[in-house]
Amino acid sequence: MNRLRLHPLHEGTSAYATACFLSREKDMAGAELRRFAEVLMQSLAASTTRSGAKVIGHIKAYIEHPEGFLHAHTVGEPGDITVDGRDGGAVRRFKLVVNSIIFGISEKAVKDAADEAIRETAALFGMEREPASLSLN
Amino acid sequence: MRLVQVAGWLGSGKTTMIIALSKEFSRKGIKVAILVNEIGAIPVDGRVIEDYGLTVKEIGGGCICCQMAGSMMKTLKLLREGPNPDIVILEPTGIAVPHVVKEMILSTSTVAEITLGLTIVLFDTTRAAKLLGYETLQRVISTQLTDADIIALSKSDAVTDEAFETAKESVRAINPRAQIIRLSVTSGEGVAALARAVEEMAVPA
Repeated sequence: MNRLRLHPLHEGTSAYATACFLSREKDMAGAELRRFAEVLMQSLAASTTRSGAKVIGHIKAYIEHPEGFLHAHTVGEPGDITVDGRDGGAVRRFKLVVNSIIFGISEKAVKDAADEAIRETAALFGMEREPASLSLN
Repeated sequence: MRLVQVAGWLGSGKTTMIIALSKEFSRKGIKVAILVNEIGAIPVDGRVIEDYGLTVKEIGGGCICCQMAGSMMKTLKLLREGPNPDIVILEPTGIAVPHVVKEMILSTSTVAEITLGLTIVLFDTTRAAKLLGYETLQRVISTQLTDADIIALSKSDAVTDEAFETAKESVRAINPRAQIIRLSVTSGEGVAALARAVEEMAVPA
């Protein structure tokens, strides 16, 4: 978690960033990976809102694997989810980085909301989050 | 080495615009480096920019207008000693206050041998009323606009002409002296105009 020392105009800002590897045994093609990114953004925005966030500042993520690189973001508005980048071939494992900047809830609440959204979205796509000790190799 | 600040609220399209602007400069043979500051401890924008083949340095884990002056100075010195670009485009965090960033740059300018160029502030026209209506955040968003030399009204392809004019009037009321540019990276509108403005202000003759 990220302890911010803030300018007075920045009061109420909380940020959380996490990186992990997700994997499954079945191939995931480019279109499905884009769909994963889109659903993850929806889920991150929803779980953050459920946690009591006043404003979603910016939720952004990237997905990286040996052949491709996708990036996604949302500001929490309905229909405002962008997914862009290079698909590459089918994958079974990729690195995910998520960065959330939220207003009106604690950093712990932002972290819990992000972790919950990643867990739920991964499960929806039959993926597992690898243990933290292996995550950033 | 001259530094241009591209500020603006979270999600206003700064990274996308900087990629487009940098490509425009590269085509003209102008050497550009991008310096990205993010609040999150694991930066995303820098990695995205890098994937487009551009030179990027990251300062993560805090806001440069609050606490990162030392990292900023060190990074600028590294750029000066390494790629030594003609233009450094600085993307501060979306909550950064441009005049505070500017003061910080000026305080490091002698050591890092940089000259300060324009401050461009992006404003998302698709969320104009909402952004200026936030009870708590309106102050920082208005301050960002007040600090701008150029206000780029972004995502202009996604709003009606009427909504665009309303957004333009709102920002004009906040900052009457800034040049206002209609921007859509999707259609390319405004990118060349911004590049020209930066080039005229930021490239040594």
